[in-house]
Amino acid sequence: MSTPHHEGEPMLRIEDLTVSYHRVPAIHHLSLSLGSGHCVGLFGPNGAGKSTLLKSVAALLKPETGRILIEGIALDQAASLIAYLPQRESVDWDFPVTVRGLVEMGRYHQVGLVGSFSQRDQTAVEEALELFNLTPLACRQIKELSGGQQQRAFLARAWAQEADLYLLDEPFGGLDRTSAAALSSALRTLCDGGKLLLVSHHALAEAESLFDTAILLNGELVACGPTSETLSPQNLECAYGTAIYSGAHHHS
Amino acid sequence: MNWYSHLLSSLVEPFGYSFMQRALLSCALIGFTNGFLGTFIILRRQALLADALSHSLLPGLAVAAMIVGLSSPWGLLLGGLIAALFVALGAQVMARNSRLKEETAVASLYIIAFALGIVLIRFARVKVDLTHFLFGNILGVSNGDLWIAYGAAFLTLVTLVLFQRPLLLTLFDVAVAQASGVRVRWVETGLLALTVLGLVASLQAVGVLLSLGLLIIPAATAYLLTDSFNRMLWGGAFLGMVCAVGGLFISFFANIPSGPCIVMLMSVFLGLAYLFSPRYGVLFKLIRGRHYHEESLERWEGHQGHDHQVPQKSLEKE
Repeated sequence: MSTPHHEGEPMLRIEDLTVSYHRVPAIHHLSLSLGSGHCVGLFGPNGAGKSTLLKSVAALLKPETGRILIEGIALDQAASLIAYLPQRESVDWDFPVTVRGLVEMGRYHQVGLVGSFSQRDQTAVEEALELFNLTPLACRQIKELSGGQQQRAFLARAWAQEADLYLLDEPFGGLDRTSAAALSSALRTLCDGGKLLLVSHHALAEAESLFDTAILLNGELVACGPTSETLSPQNLECAYGTAIYSGAHHHS
Repeated sequence: MNWYSHLLSSLVEPFGYSFMQRALLSCALIGFTNGFLGTFIILRRQALLADALSHSLLPGLAVAAMIVGLSSPWGLLLGGLIAALFVALGAQVMARNSRLKEETAVASLYIIAFALGIVLIRFARVKVDLTHFLFGNILGVSNGDLWIAYGAAFLTLVTLVLFQRPLLLTLFDVAVAQASGVRVRWVETGLLALTVLGLVASLQAVGVLLSLGLLIIPAATAYLLTDSFNRMLWGGAFLGMVCAVGGLFISFFANIPSGPCIVMLMSVFLGLAYLFSPRYGVLFKLIRGRHYHEESLERWEGHQGHDHQVPQKSLEKE
């Protein structure tokens, strides 16, 4: 990777992040840092700020206070390190693009505006297709895939991009058991490859089998750590049971 | 043999007239450029926005006619350009800074601009014929008009080819493109500006209605035929050029107005693609199998016996 990498910096560091929509804060003074090689679940009730946090890290929302660093690099310099996976509804599935074309989009950043694909770019695309078992489907238009295959196609695109940080907004929503299992093992593959995955998730039931780390949100950070500890009864009560959790903080 | 040479000489007959040469050249240019641009318009679902923009040229044309008269193509070009850009960019600004959605803002602004244009035309000393702007005058294309068409085609094609990748990312998913570092707003504004340029540059020759047709119909036809963005892009451009030139030929021999002739020719291709496209044609959908048979068979067999496995690695780690 050509981007300067600051040794010893965590993959993702968030410092004192506040993000508001129309003057209503969705995330309040949130600080945390996460290392690579983790599959992190984002939990919390509706309106807790799960999507907001993902969009902030994807640089789609401007923070009101605080900052976000990726491998020690400011967010606006780190776009190529981040892969934001769209929610199903935001994708135009009729778009004239095949699975291979979709994965090739991941290389555009490396290839540049008008350059042609080098051998290395081709290899990266093939590798991504292979890794997510999409090679036999490479020539399909993206609508001709099942829900789980579509998710994997977008993961393959992120892999081809050589992103280090994956942001997924409710990827398990609407998937049946088989597709969910396939997606989960795909996420595990990424995680073993040293990537950091940030995944917002709705259900608490299978949390421990899906994520090794969990973040519990309720407008603020309630807890962050190994899944079983984070999703303890007290913490869950704190996040889901009461109104907005308000620990000690002050406004300057 | 005699009929053959007769046919040949009558086919090249139009090329003998210089007005016809200019008409053919500008048709080819405008057809190609608009067909190319059309892919972007269609995939951004902005066909109706382009329609609205074409109407918003009016006040600019009226003011230009008042100031410089109708003789100079540059005055009209500039006037139309300014008016349409004003509406297009004004609508973007409105949509970004208020709760109004872009199509609402555009619809409001273009109607206001249109009304303003009609009012202004009343004060113009010269007599302005509105049908001229709607249908253009392909046989009256001057060398100046041709230069404008050259310039616009060159600028549009070079920009679109150069920025094809960021454009493609933006068209596909705005949020993802933005997250991957594409300056989405610049891309969107640039595309809008090129659309306006395309409309205005083809005004004199083919009028706003036909210009719009050349923008939408060839690209829509290509969209029905292919799953490749590139093929849709160049296919739409090629089809636009063929239809524009072919339509002009037919109009010359059949002695009917060229604009409608070009549109009818395009509509034939659109109709054929709608019915007979191998992938997305209505008829072939009926004939073709309803699913990938081998795959469903494989999946069915795969499910017999062994259940899927939920990965256990996360638990092993701890």
